[in-house]
Amino acid sequence: MILGRVIGEVWATRRDPRLGRAKLLVVRPQGLYEPAFGGRHLVATDDVQAGIGDEVIVCLGAPARASAGGNDTPVDAAILGVVDRVDFDAGLMLAPGAAPGIKRPFSIDLTAGGRR
Amino acid sequence: MIRGTVVGQVWATRKARGLDGQTLLMIAARDADGNPSGRLVVAADVLDARTGDEVTVAFGSGARNVLRPGAENRDLLCDAAVAAIVEGEG
Repeated sequence: MILGRVIGEVWATRRDPRLGRAKLLVVRPQGLYEPAFGGRHLVATDDVQAGIGDEVIVCLGAPARASAGGNDTPVDAAILGVVDRVDFDAGLMLAPGAAPGIKRPFSIDLTAGGRR
Repeated sequence: MIRGTVVGQVWATRKARGLDGQTLLMIAARDADGNPSGRLVVAADVLDARTGDEVTVAFGSGARNVLRPGAENRDLLCDAAVAAIVEGEG
C-alpha cells in the first residue's frame, strides 16, 4: 500500500459495466512513490467515503481489483483507509549507509497530513 | 518480497471491510545493496514488528495470505504485508 492525498474526483457515466457505480478519486501519491506510467497521480476506487483533501492509504494491483467486485474489473487501485495520524521516525530512513546527499529522502508532507 | 526497515506506523480509523484493528506500518524499502532505496510502502503487520526492525514485505496477492490464509481471502484490500522479521543475513 502507499500513502497519498485525494486531490479530486472524476465522474463518468459511460464506463465499463464491471466498474459498477464505484466512486473514482484522483490521488497524488506521497513520498517517492511514482506510478510506473508516470504523471504523479492515479485514479482509485473508493471503499471508505474519502473526500478531497483526505490523506488516504491506497492498495494497488490484484487485491484492489478483487475488492472492486471480482477478478475481471478494470481496477488497479483502491482506497482502503483514511489516515488519522502517522508516527514516523525520519532518522531511520537514513541509517545505515544512506546515499550521500540525501537529507530528506521522502517528500511526504507530514506536517499537513500526518498529524491532525 | 523486498527487504525494508520499519520507520513508523499509520493510524486510520476508517478502513475497508476486513481490516478493522489491523496494524499498518510504514516501511522504508531497501535496494539490492541493503541501502534505503528512498521508497516507502505501507504494509499490514501481524507479527508485531516494531519501529527499527528489519523486515521482509510480501506484495500482491501473497500479502493477503499473511492476514488470512486460504481461498476465502479475495475480498481483503491488502497488497503488502510483513512476512518476516529479519534477525540476521549472510
